[in-house]
Amino acid sequence: MKKVRMPLLVLTSATLMLSGCAGFQTSDNSEGQTNDEGKTVVDFWSFWGSELRRPVIDKIVADFNASQDEIEVKHTYSPWGDIWTKELAAIAAGNPPDVVINDINATAIRGKENQAMNLSEFMDDGFSDKFYPELWNATLYEGDSYGIPFNTDTRVLFYNKDAFEEVGLDPEDPPETWAELEEYAAMLDVKNGDDYDRLGFYPLWGVGYDVWLLNANGENYFGADNNVDTVNINTETNVEVLNWLKSWRDRIGEDVVNSYQAQIDSQQGNPFFSGDLAMLVQQPTFYTQISEYAEDLNFGVAPLPEYEPGNGHTSWGGGFVAEIPEGSSDPEAAWAFIEYLTGAEAQEYWAVENFDNVANIEAAEAAAQSDELSEEGQMVYQMAIESMENTLLTPAPVEAPGFYNYINPHVDEFFLGSMTAEEALAQAQADVENLIESNQ
Amino acid sequence: MGKRKLTIRRKESIYGYIFIMPFIVGFFAFTAGPLLFSLAGSFTDYNITSRMDFVGVENYQSLIVDDGLFRTSLWNTIYYVAFSVPLTTLGAIFISALLNQDVPGIRVFRTLYYLPAVLSGVGVYLLWMQLLEPGTGMVNLLLGWVGIDGPNWLYDPDWTKPSLILMKLWSVGGSMLLYLASMQGVSRSLYEAAEIDGASRWRQFVHITIPMITPVIFFDVVTSLIGGFQIFQEAYIMSGNGEGGPANSLLFYNLYMWNQAFESFDMGYAMAMSWILFVIVFVLTLINLKLAPRWVHYEGEEK
Repeated sequence: MKKVRMPLLVLTSATLMLSGCAGFQTSDNSEGQTNDEGKTVVDFWSFWGSELRRPVIDKIVADFNASQDEIEVKHTYSPWGDIWTKELAAIAAGNPPDVVINDINATAIRGKENQAMNLSEFMDDGFSDKFYPELWNATLYEGDSYGIPFNTDTRVLFYNKDAFEEVGLDPEDPPETWAELEEYAAMLDVKNGDDYDRLGFYPLWGVGYDVWLLNANGENYFGADNNVDTVNINTETNVEVLNWLKSWRDRIGEDVVNSYQAQIDSQQGNPFFSGDLAMLVQQPTFYTQISEYAEDLNFGVAPLPEYEPGNGHTSWGGGFVAEIPEGSSDPEAAWAFIEYLTGAEAQEYWAVENFDNVANIEAAEAAAQSDELSEEGQMVYQMAIESMENTLLTPAPVEAPGFYNYINPHVDEFFLGSMTAEEALAQAQADVENLIESNQ
Repeated sequence: MGKRKLTIRRKESIYGYIFIMPFIVGFFAFTAGPLLFSLAGSFTDYNITSRMDFVGVENYQSLIVDDGLFRTSLWNTIYYVAFSVPLTTLGAIFISALLNQDVPGIRVFRTLYYLPAVLSGVGVYLLWMQLLEPGTGMVNLLLGWVGIDGPNWLYDPDWTKPSLILMKLWSVGGSMLLYLASMQGVSRSLYEAAEIDGASRWRQFVHITIPMITPVIFFDVVTSLIGGFQIFQEAYIMSGNGEGGPANSLLFYNLYMWNQAFESFDMGYAMAMSWILFVIVFVLTLINLKLAPRWVHYEGEEK
């Protein structure tokens, strides 16, 4: 036995040493890559691989390449599930792509952690004016931007005009406040025993409880500029809002809520399309589904109702940025592409072809007027732009990454009935404060 | 060495090493380095890109002392393992015993029961999310026919883990195949002898079949125990937003670790978590190996 083991031991330790050496040889990519024609290659990663989106982004890339003598962008599609873990591994290995589409809400954290490059040195004064300020601010860490906003979204109220007319409501006068929302919803309900032939409204379809909290407060849980000196989770308003949300569930009944929810999840069976649901909060892109599955639906769009008159129609959004990972081989060329990608021309093309909200204000406004959209499409897009004025993002403060993971479980418990709103929010507040403390 | 012939024993051990060579080479070339790196990293505040400072046992300390979510995730995982491993093992033995009968059309049945094991991944999880839908799903529909008002499955924290265990039971076909192969290898003469002695079918099963397949049971228990502790995808997909909800009931160990690593970028912390899990699984496997001689029967074993 001994004799057999010896050569094996030698062999394995040799393998180990070799693999160890390989580990220290991180490929250094600082020289840049060029293709056969001597053009600088910009490696661009996105998760837009669907039938709808891929042709649009590929066209934008092709247009950019056609306009360039020295740069060629190579677009690589990487699935949503692993694009960012792959990117992170590539950054750690020292050979990252040059431009990546990433989540806007953690841009500051990526800046802090040296994953994304500081883009301030590349841009001219006034560059930031092209974008919605709320989006721009979400990309800042200590005053510098680490990603340029690409697309975004917001939440608006879709309502069925025919149903409004049927119960004597003015179809051009959607609910303005939460009180009106409740009143109209009750009028629009058509009960049939324990079941509903038509349901007026339910607040937790399409959006979560946090959107209603944001709407009522007009701000996220944290202080100005996302400072974490104040954490406003356990507040009287929030307790009231949660109880209000739950009162809908109690009134309508668990079973009705669940069966409607299942239909909504199935997409084409959405009760809003069939007129079984009169009002629904959704992203403006919901319009593409309406036009596909319910062409003849007579609907309108409105801003989210406000908590109290004068409180503001605050809505919630997110979005994506284009950023340059730390260690990119040619940041200058990468920046040239980002400038094009977030410029008015490419943004308008994206907005119209995908019916998606874009971050560039000029492009968004042009898209709303575009002849390529139908009249209804223009109406929805216009509302999306108006709603953007009141749309807030909820980026994670650098001291509280993934803060919602510490709030959602307690709020779940509240909705399930095992905690009161006060208890749930008090615990959430304590957990988030702990999280902040451990990150300071 | 050339002068005398190798003994059979020595020859066999050389063959043995040659057979496991691909694994050994792969292990040292690809796995060992990252493994050691993660051990070292677990004592740092490594975040992949900007820092890697030694922090001693701080990660381990705050995990064990302060972190409530760590405890929740460990509890969820142990709950899942404690129910899923015995149930899937029993389920697989039961089905393979049924499919070991000589009845017409048995091949069709075998194929049917094995099919779920072929399907895997996200598609299956999405399918089960539809099946378990409380209002319109097939499972509650079937329960409704026999007068049972089905639970809210993936929406009720008390039922989320049972939902996953149910789903696992559906796909026991993979281990069923192992049992079936092993059962077919049991010598007919044993059963014939037992029959002559007047043993019932049940006693034959308990006293012949089960002891003869214990090596496979042992293998299945050990691998599914290790696999059970690694549950991740199911929770990532089926908890809707991938956060382990509702009420953290699907926050499994690996999901929490993944969140720490790739959402908070707290890689050192996540590495410490992975080593704690390693120790837990290692100890359980050792216990298994120690207990094995008491109940696992190897044919032709030297005692």
